[in-house]
Amino acid sequence: MDEQLGTIKVKLRNISKSFYSRKEVFEAVDNISIDVYENEFLVLLGPGQCGKTVLLNMISGLESPTEGTVQFTDNNATDVGFVFQKTAVFPWKTVMENVELPLELKKEDKTERRKRAQYLIDLVGLNGFENSLPKQLSGGMKQRVGIARAYANNPQVLLMDEPFGALDAQTRYQMEEEVLRIWEQEKRTVIFVTNNIEEAVYLADRVIVLSSCPAKVKEIYNIKLQRPRDYVNQDFLRLREAIEKNTDLAL
Amino acid sequence: MGNQDEKTTSKVANSILIETAARKRERKQLLIISLVCIFLFFGIWEIAVRLNWIDGKYLCAPSAVIKTFMTKLSDPKPDGAVLGIHIITSLKLVLIGYIAAIIIGVPLGLLMGYYHTFDKLVSPIFEIIRPIPPIAWIPLSIIWLGVGTAAKCFIIFLAAFVPCVINSYTGVKLTPPVLVNVAKTCGATRWEIFSTVCVHYAMPLTFTGIQVSLGNAWSTLVASELVSATAGLGYMIQQGRSLVRPDIILVGMLTIGILGAIFTTLLSKLENKVVKWRAKS
Amino acid sequence: MRTKNQKIRDFVLSAISVIVLIALWCAVSTSKPDFFPTPMATIERLVKLFEKPIMKVSIWGHIFASLKRVLFAIGASIIIGVGLGLIMGWNKKVRAAIYPIIMTLRPIPPIAWIPLIILLFGVGEFPKVLLVFIGSVFPILLNTISAVSMVDDMYLKVGKVYKANTWQTLHHIVFPASMPTILAGIKIAISSGWMVVVAAEMLASKSGLGFLITRGRDSYDVALIMVAMILIGIVGAALSIVFSFIERRLCGWMSS
Repeated sequence: MDEQLGTIKVKLRNISKSFYSRKEVFEAVDNISIDVYENEFLVLLGPGQCGKTVLLNMISGLESPTEGTVQFTDNNATDVGFVFQKTAVFPWKTVMENVELPLELKKEDKTERRKRAQYLIDLVGLNGFENSLPKQLSGGMKQRVGIARAYANNPQVLLMDEPFGALDAQTRYQMEEEVLRIWEQEKRTVIFVTNNIEEAVYLADRVIVLSSCPAKVKEIYNIKLQRPRDYVNQDFLRLREAIEKNTDLAL
Repeated sequence: MGNQDEKTTSKVANSILIETAARKRERKQLLIISLVCIFLFFGIWEIAVRLNWIDGKYLCAPSAVIKTFMTKLSDPKPDGAVLGIHIITSLKLVLIGYIAAIIIGVPLGLLMGYYHTFDKLVSPIFEIIRPIPPIAWIPLSIIWLGVGTAAKCFIIFLAAFVPCVINSYTGVKLTPPVLVNVAKTCGATRWEIFSTVCVHYAMPLTFTGIQVSLGNAWSTLVASELVSATAGLGYMIQQGRSLVRPDIILVGMLTIGILGAIFTTLLSKLENKVVKWRAKS
Repeated sequence: MRTKNQKIRDFVLSAISVIVLIALWCAVSTSKPDFFPTPMATIERLVKLFEKPIMKVSIWGHIFASLKRVLFAIGASIIIGVGLGLIMGWNKKVRAAIYPIIMTLRPIPPIAWIPLIILLFGVGEFPKVLLVFIGSVFPILLNTISAVSMVDDMYLKVGKVYKANTWQTLHHIVFPASMPTILAGIKIAISSGWMVVVAAEMLASKSGLGFLITRGRDSYDVALIMVAMILIGIVGAALSIVFSFIERRLCGWMSS
């Protein structure tokens, strides 16, 4: 089955992570091993506050695991793109400046990065808003800026940490469609974190269900439904129900 | 299950030890840096004066300041009073002006924040007077009230009054309408809404105002004593200047600083007691 | 319609309060003109001040003298306060080294420095600028330190993910994120600096608006005191209005 999924992009091996203050110990992630394949849409589904964000942080290099290793297949290409939970779009920069930022930090040529950023802004459907400030944009639009900025880094892996959690239901459905459209157009390896089962089944090639604190791998589902998927299709609902029974979503 | 717990605990315990040790080391290092630097600061100052890099006539060494401080506790020379008398004179002035400012300023600000008509009537006068620094009132108030206690209390009052009013006013204005509506649906009268909801909500900000007031009052006290006084800490440092006694000036500054710091600490302790509901950040 | 009525009502109320204030002024001052100049006498004094310089300096000269001292000192405070604040907020060791010294000096009100500074540096321009600097640097420095140490962790994460170096992080993230708090500090610094310059000029100066007050007191010219106070109020208010304008321009990105 593994061969069908293509080449491995990132290997997580026996990852554990715990935090401690002076008195308490808090285990966030316990012994997780995952292979992430090239250009797959991988969804990590898990309850509440536990471990998922920490896992993404470790893949992106923001934090290092207490135990275990994160390994990119190509050690020279470890750039990631990160779409954050809340909109981490800089309010003091225009849309263009925000999207350009990763390229600017790499000191790329100005006209070159303008061109690339313009392409990405068009890709996420924000044409015409290049010079707007984030305060003039809606929540969904801000998250589009976040996605464009993540792409601008030319990432090997695109990490999305509950990017639509703060949006209203309507916008959320719309953004789910959008993120698939963008991904089809600019294929990348995506690791998408959510606590919403419907969202997971709608988006994923593969859903990895994580347990509650500390996060462990509970079950892996390969979703073979045809895209675009229908939320009320019989197979969709059956799959959704199966996953629902198997999660300890603490709601 | 128990077995596994044990395993993870020991694994975690190990890394805790490493990291807490690192944190402790860092904290210790920072503390040492702080101590060394403050020691260097006073050390260099002391040496600079002793080796005559700085003319001792205009700036004395820290050791001389401590010596003068000790003698000033019992010796009224050369500025006419022992340190205790200066302190009491200044404290009396500050407390009268400051407490009066709180008693008048806070209710005024609260009422202005809630009652629109009252606000429109009072705030223009307030806005006209506000931009004039209290210190600029000194000569005029001396002409009106003489060189005694009254003039100085008046100026300290002015200085402390403004932040009390502004902050309690803003506090009431920022009361979330939801809270007011809750009270309304419970059938509260306007006065009840004001006294039970708005006043409570305004408390943290009011306290900030009271703190700012204290700083203002304290520094205005010094100013008014610099201009005209026969005792008090401001008078003492002014005398130190006329007599070219930097040690007297520095003792005065030190005392002013210490008393100010003590007041601020006491006030924030009190604030924590009164405004318990506010989440600590 | 109702809002328009309300606006008229508000205006009338404000007008009443100002009229009452002026009437009160007239009443008190006509009974005791030596203690309190009448509004007319004040205006006359102001006009005379435009025609007849004091200490060979015109009224504009005095205003300019005070402004110059404040602006120089605030400029220095901004450069040193923001620069040092960024470094101290960013680097724990530098903060540990300097913070205790600052905390030792801070409780001393700037005005209490006046005698020492005069004793050390005389009554020239430098000691006055230095005093205003002492009065204005602390709010800027402390605000900058706390702004830098409170930058939203998420913004810093973005920088880390995209591998920004220290300078880039400061330039693109920390500095702009701290801007609103830094500007608030500068605003406090301006009003505190304005107060200190008046105090310093009252105690030791031959020019400036604070000097005019002392001059008025020494020559029993109550109207001059009043004029100087009013000018001090107007210039102080103008400074803070101009700064609020600058603040809005620099921090237009903030949501209202």
